[in-house]
Amino acid sequence: MRWAGPAPSRMLRQWWLPALMSTLCAAATPGVLGAGELWSLRPPIRPAVPKVRGADWVRTPVDAFVLAELERRGLRPAPPAERATLIRRVTFDLIGLPPTPERVLKFVDDPSPTAYETLVDELLASPQYGERWARHWLDAARYADSGGYETDIYYKNAWRYRDYVVQSLNADKPYDRFVREQIAGDELFPSDYSLDGSYVLPAAKKRALEARTATGLYTLGPQIHESNMDGKKIRSEWLTDCADLTGSLFMGLTVGCARCHDHKSDPLTQRDYYALQAVFAPSRDTEVPIVHAMAIASHRQHYPRVLALAEALKALRAFRSRTAGRALTTAEEEERRQLSDRVTNAALEIPENIPDAPGGAWDGFYEPPSITALGHVDPALHQPVRILHRGELSRPGAVVGPALPAVFGNGREKLPDLSDEQSRRKKLALWLTRPEHPLTARVLVNRVWQWHFGRGLVETPNDFGRMGGAPSHPALLDWLATTFARPSGTAGGLGWSMKKLHSLVVLSNVYRMSSAHRDAAAERADGENKWLWKMNRRRLEGEALWDAVHAVSGTLNLKAGGRPVMPPLSEEEMTALRDRWQWVVPFDASEHRRRGLYLLVRRNFRFPLFETFDAPVNSQSCPRRDVTTVAPQALWFLNNRTSLQRAEEFAARVSRDLATAPSPAGAPDRAWIERAWRVALGRAPAAEESRTALELLNEGRRNRATVPSAEGRIALLLFNLNEFAFVD
Amino acid sequence: MKRCAGRMGAVGRREFLARAGMGFGSVALATLESERAAAAQTNPLAPRAQHVPARAKRIICLFMQGGPSQLETFDPKPELTRLNGQPLPASYRSADLNLQFMQASEGKLMGGAFPFRKCGRSGLEISELYPELGAHADDLAVIRSCYHESFIHGPALTLMQTGSLLLGHPSVGAWVTYGLGCESENLPAYLVMTDSVIRNGGSSAYGSGFLPAVYQGTLLRSEGAPIQNLSVPAGLGREEQRRLIDRIQALNRSHLAGREDDSRLSARIANYELAFRMQTAAPELMDLSEEAAATRKRYGVGEGPTDRFSKMCLLARRMVERGVRFVQLYASDWDGHGDCPGNHKGNASRTDRPIAGLLADLKDRGLLDSTLVLWVGEFGRTPVMQGDRGRDHSPYGFSCWLAGGGIRGGKVIGATDELGFRAVTDRVHVHDLHATLLSLLGLDHKRLTYPFEGRIRRLTDVGEQTDWSPILTRG
Repeated sequence: MRWAGPAPSRMLRQWWLPALMSTLCAAATPGVLGAGELWSLRPPIRPAVPKVRGADWVRTPVDAFVLAELERRGLRPAPPAERATLIRRVTFDLIGLPPTPERVLKFVDDPSPTAYETLVDELLASPQYGERWARHWLDAARYADSGGYETDIYYKNAWRYRDYVVQSLNADKPYDRFVREQIAGDELFPSDYSLDGSYVLPAAKKRALEARTATGLYTLGPQIHESNMDGKKIRSEWLTDCADLTGSLFMGLTVGCARCHDHKSDPLTQRDYYALQAVFAPSRDTEVPIVHAMAIASHRQHYPRVLALAEALKALRAFRSRTAGRALTTAEEEERRQLSDRVTNAALEIPENIPDAPGGAWDGFYEPPSITALGHVDPALHQPVRILHRGELSRPGAVVGPALPAVFGNGREKLPDLSDEQSRRKKLALWLTRPEHPLTARVLVNRVWQWHFGRGLVETPNDFGRMGGAPSHPALLDWLATTFARPSGTAGGLGWSMKKLHSLVVLSNVYRMSSAHRDAAAERADGENKWLWKMNRRRLEGEALWDAVHAVSGTLNLKAGGRPVMPPLSEEEMTALRDRWQWVVPFDASEHRRRGLYLLVRRNFRFPLFETFDAPVNSQSCPRRDVTTVAPQALWFLNNRTSLQRAEEFAARVSRDLATAPSPAGAPDRAWIERAWRVALGRAPAAEESRTALELLNEGRRNRATVPSAEGRIALLLFNLNEFAFVD
Repeated sequence: MKRCAGRMGAVGRREFLARAGMGFGSVALATLESERAAAAQTNPLAPRAQHVPARAKRIICLFMQGGPSQLETFDPKPELTRLNGQPLPASYRSADLNLQFMQASEGKLMGGAFPFRKCGRSGLEISELYPELGAHADDLAVIRSCYHESFIHGPALTLMQTGSLLLGHPSVGAWVTYGLGCESENLPAYLVMTDSVIRNGGSSAYGSGFLPAVYQGTLLRSEGAPIQNLSVPAGLGREEQRRLIDRIQALNRSHLAGREDDSRLSARIANYELAFRMQTAAPELMDLSEEAAATRKRYGVGEGPTDRFSKMCLLARRMVERGVRFVQLYASDWDGHGDCPGNHKGNASRTDRPIAGLLADLKDRGLLDSTLVLWVGEFGRTPVMQGDRGRDHSPYGFSCWLAGGGIRGGKVIGATDELGFRAVTDRVHVHDLHATLLSLLGLDHKRLTYPFEGRIRRLTDVGEQTDWSPILTRG
């Protein structure tokens, strides 16, 4: 629960009345409720898998838990989805892309009893899996490549954290380690970063750098950067972000309320809140080079080339100001040409690659590649955290040492001592990732469930407190949480493996149910489908739509990772940008067709398509995206240049496909249409659809359509279908 | 379904219902026919009843971006003129008087650069910067005691527009649209125009924050295509596009069979119709050629400095005529750090006639009574000098004015201290101003709420706010 957003009393309100809070926050005894009174703070106990009457429907324990609730309410599960529907569902769900027509046919015709298991394994092994699920995680992690507010400062290294997430998911890094690295990668894997005189980074050092990259999480939040924001205030805002993010992302607790006062509904005191800030107080963001020592030496060795460029620029600028506002003489024209050449030549002299580093390019403009990550403040300069009266920086109170919220101890366990400044985050991370921690596993399995089904078992994934929703299936949540955190090999334990968790969920019969099933009684009793008597239909996110349009057009560039991309935008799309120079279109056109995940995420300028389709603002953790339906979404697919270009490419791709795999002679148009349907929707067209498409095709030909071409119009038709944007 | 009909036909109705905490089950069974009827009832943009009797049906907000000086416009300070050139008296200094670029104690006082005139029958004092607006003095209610907590453009603008210094909160227009719905059939309920970039980065100033995105403002460009992706591809043309859309709709309707319980699908079908209509309605809205020459002249269209903003003001009138609920115009840039009088003279010359023309035109058309007009910036400016002609930002006391929408003009509310630094009498915080605007539109700021992240949210944050509308509308 929060007061006015992520940082309640940044509003310096003189007339704040604590009494009013009790009406807004649910009335309760502030601060000191026993943990036993809030279900989510009780460690989960592994429940027995329930007995159900319809045992033959049960494929995995997940099914038993869901079916038990259905039976209790007299509801019946929907029949399974058809195979063509199922492959489209699970492919978008696990890798964020549509299945290829070939894979659909193979799956539909596969006689093997494990055809679906094979498909799921294949998808989970795909490098695109990490990209799809990183997008979910990055929403919750409030990821962006810039700081927001007026200046929207550019975070040149944020993408390294994004790539870390992708790689960790693809490697199926156990979730406990994933959490530990993000909170305390540097403290858990200490390394000297002096990068001794070597041409290669030792493996241990690489490992340490990877873990440290993870702490980039805490360096990419929103940041006000304007004149006269004093350092103290910036620091206080940063500590607020650290505490709030740790609470929402890992613990599913909105701790921010306690910034101003003892939490009114959850057992958190103001002291607990500042004690959590104190965990981060000895830390700060640092830039750490990630190249071997010889590269740094080489950078320094060649530095005079940068000086030469600076001098060449000075000369050109001096010339320009000397001749500003008037026509140049012939001699001056010549001088200008020479000065420009000098700049160009000096720039070209600067080495492009890092000597002896395979594939190692300098970052940006001749900068050693680096990560922005957490490190430590010089102990001599470390400022202790003070309780702020009503959250106001100008009203500091008593110093607060670092501690975990007292309620977690609650007489049961002794919470770790966090006084050592160099290991506070490490102790927090280790404490959070004990298998018996009441929140960590529950919060994660709930997020994963939501991302699979569109709705969590707890509907408020960032709030497991008293103001959050109660779990619809508490036993299932606890069974999943305990199974997830249990070491692998022990009684079905998953050892924190996300991929195993996905398998457990998507192989269930619950997941395989039809979403289009109609059942009047069930609709009356449970119109929201809280009890999962059918699968939920999902609208694709902006990024998935971007990926899908490019994938079916055969133009998707599946290159992984790297600096965020700014694809070309139309004039009108650029109007919301503060300054045009903020948008730098890559020279290499294949970069313009990268996956949506890799497009630049500016806090002040969301990519227009994504903004239209409900991309989050990223000012704070976004647990669940809105799904709106507005007219500009239709306008994008009807009229946007990218949509029209991909439509032509889609048409060309379908023709190409047919040329390489000739279809039966006689009905080339029908074959074309069928192929188009299979590529875009993964199924053959119905007779009515085929007829409609044929009409459109012939009409376009009669009108000698060019752009969009007759075939391109079929592509536009397909892009605009509800079926294209929704997954059954 | 006369107005706004298909428009929302459905925009995320299920989402809306779920979030609004209403049961979805009751409408889930609807057949296509009754589905539509239900959608009309529960359409998130359907016009809705007010909480309290409304004085105004719609609002035009004239936002003077950069921070116009109260001392040069609506808040005459003879004492400041008398002390011109002297240091800020010690009694005015205090630790919490932060400014962006200077220390208040460093600067010397600078008297208002323009003489004030008593205008209209009421004798309301307006500076010579705004001669044409002066003729409307009897329609204006000036609040001289506005204040808030941020002296930096971005956060201050965010605060003025959303009631919070932080990003992620819904704008006033989003709250109003959420509260009152949409009256236009072919246009969005909430339109925004700007003559330059919006300082806090744009979209958050007219965004829907944590409200459903259907309530967000739509930015119209004042030149060229007003809405993104509005131009039908040249190679297609309107008629052929219509035939394409007919086919899309036909296939979408077939797809809907058996899926009628998912309102998002029918909403999307309805949206293709709105999108198609908007392609015509938006350019028609923007086409000023049908306006009489006298009308254009009244706003200053085509006349040098006023041209840009006059078009925006004239468009604002056209928008409210077409049922747009909330119009937000930005005029930039009042940030007079170097030469405040010079900066303000330029800005006034661009905005005086357009604003006066707008008020006169609304009045003549009988729209002023039902249209609230608000003039405000993100903050005011300091009585102490920055450099030798400038003024720094000051959120501690500044002016705004309201007209139309039931406002009884020719009056002043509140006062700043003798130097015009801080609001001292009848102080009006941003939240008070927001509560007042909502009240004039028939909305009770304490009842206009939305649950988010475990708390019941409102535009005016927590606590009691003062609704100034009874005083503003009293004769």
